[in-house]
Amino acid sequence: MNAQWIAGFGMDTITMTGSLEAKLQAMKGAGFSQVMLMARDLVSHPGGVSGAVAAVKASGLRPTGFQVLRDFEGLSGHLHDYKMDMAKSMLEMCAATGSKVLLVCSSTSRHATDDINALARDLKKLAMLAIPLGIQIAYEGLSWGRNINEFTTAWDVVCLADCPNLGIGLDSFHIFASKTPLDSIDELDPKKIFLTQLSDFMWNETPTFEDRMTTARTFRVFPGEGVHSAQLADLVLRLDRIGYRGDYSFEVFNDDYQQLPLATVAARARRSALWLHDDVLHRAAPLPDWTRTAS
Amino acid sequence: MTLQAAHREAVPEMPNRLGMDGIEFIEYATSRPQALGQVLESMGFRPVARHRSREVTLYRQGTMNLVVNANPDDARVSATVDGQPVISAVAFRVRDALKAHTRCIDLGAWTVDSHAQAMELHIPAIHGPGGSRFYFVDRWQEFSIYDIDFKPIPTVDQHPPALTEMRFFGVVQYIGASRSADWLAYYEHMFDFTSIPDEKRFGILPKGKLMKSPCGQFLWQLIEPDPWMDEADESTECLQRVGLGVPDVSRSVAELKARGVEFVESVALHPEDRGALTRTTLGSVSFELVHKAAPTVQA
Repeated sequence: MNAQWIAGFGMDTITMTGSLEAKLQAMKGAGFSQVMLMARDLVSHPGGVSGAVAAVKASGLRPTGFQVLRDFEGLSGHLHDYKMDMAKSMLEMCAATGSKVLLVCSSTSRHATDDINALARDLKKLAMLAIPLGIQIAYEGLSWGRNINEFTTAWDVVCLADCPNLGIGLDSFHIFASKTPLDSIDELDPKKIFLTQLSDFMWNETPTFEDRMTTARTFRVFPGEGVHSAQLADLVLRLDRIGYRGDYSFEVFNDDYQQLPLATVAARARRSALWLHDDVLHRAAPLPDWTRTAS
Repeated sequence: MTLQAAHREAVPEMPNRLGMDGIEFIEYATSRPQALGQVLESMGFRPVARHRSREVTLYRQGTMNLVVNANPDDARVSATVDGQPVISAVAFRVRDALKAHTRCIDLGAWTVDSHAQAMELHIPAIHGPGGSRFYFVDRWQEFSIYDIDFKPIPTVDQHPPALTEMRFFGVVQYIGASRSADWLAYYEHMFDFTSIPDEKRFGILPKGKLMKSPCGQFLWQLIEPDPWMDEADESTECLQRVGLGVPDVSRSVAELKARGVEFVESVALHPEDRGALTRTTLGSVSFELVHKAAPTVQA
């Protein structure tokens, strides 16, 4: 099969354990051409940030994006100033890796205001900082976010901020955990969805924020491996229908995968990508060469 | 129309929250200051002063100031490739430099740390595209900032007249592919620049997006790469060239040609009444002449 089919799908480094180089090699070995990086990949690298950046470049994998700036928006005074410093450092690392998207999760801080205008103003400020670096900001509604915990309200903030490089980041886990109706996908502008992260999980109900956090951080599985496969397929088809052509990245936190050989985990991810490509999206595979040969 | 009629509707003025009032100077960074100096002199600029502590020279003609920064300790100078000069800064005249700087930082600009030495002027700045900077200068009415940091070159006229009434017209910025919307938003939000409709164009290179400063004194042109360009070309973002306004393009072209300046002449692009483009020298330096009526003298 032509390797191009997998180009729109990628793995997150958070799914696997081991060195950055080993993770990149396993992803590449499974046929992936992109990787979602996290800040810890860079700062924990024995060669420092520059060593990690060199490893990413040497792998030939394209960075899907860079994660994650947390608890950023809605603060004031010295907390705001402190978070601005954190944001600048994240942006600099993001730019160093050649990532074009920085993922920002909605704030969980009880110090954050619920004034949507203030949230929009802070995100616009972040987007402005990102423009000279050529970075897009993907704002994601965390399902245990204090004020913004669904993609619908995250979208409202993005619309209010009205900045071309500020868009939304979708994460299937948070959408299913907070049971946001998928009909709202139709209200999104596909060009303003800067990243879509996919994962499934094994429980039908995650009523409390604590349930959501525990499940999100330890027991997500690849798309098609859990009990939300039908919903996940529905989500992906709806995104496809509104014209989303961006990347799908597998955001799978799973304690079991942390103790499996990297190649085994990457093979599961590949199987998941294949399921999405063939069984869900029914994307056309390029015809074999012989069909194009002049007779 | 009487004055009262204009008051019937609350038509907002163009906001100019920084109190911007033109370009104070444009800075080049280069490891070959003498070669660049020759190019600038052929364009009518004259060296008038040298920096007190660093290898920096001030060139001037008429209302235009160009600063040539060859200070080897400046990262922007050492970052220049193959001796090719780059436009490393644009200094805007503003009402209050500190307030302008603070406002931009609040809106999400990256600040530039000052390296002013003792008794030198601290000019607040933010990072611009590529490795460039935007400076904010407010002391241009009471006295000259150059009197503090620069020593005049003896016997040289400190205010050489402009050749053929040349003055700053605008700056051309190269941007990455599909980045027009980002930069338009940036300049609108930071500096209150406004977009000029696509059908309204000046000069002879009508590509890209055009913006106007809130003071109406200069234009800012954003140019994306063509789709066929390779990735290295696509990603480069920089301040590419300076546009000079002249009342009579043909006269300026003739005069500059007589001084040895060469112009790009092709079927698609030839000096004419609307404008002209000088041939690139030192691998990166060119100027665009654009027709602009001479300013009316205030009574």
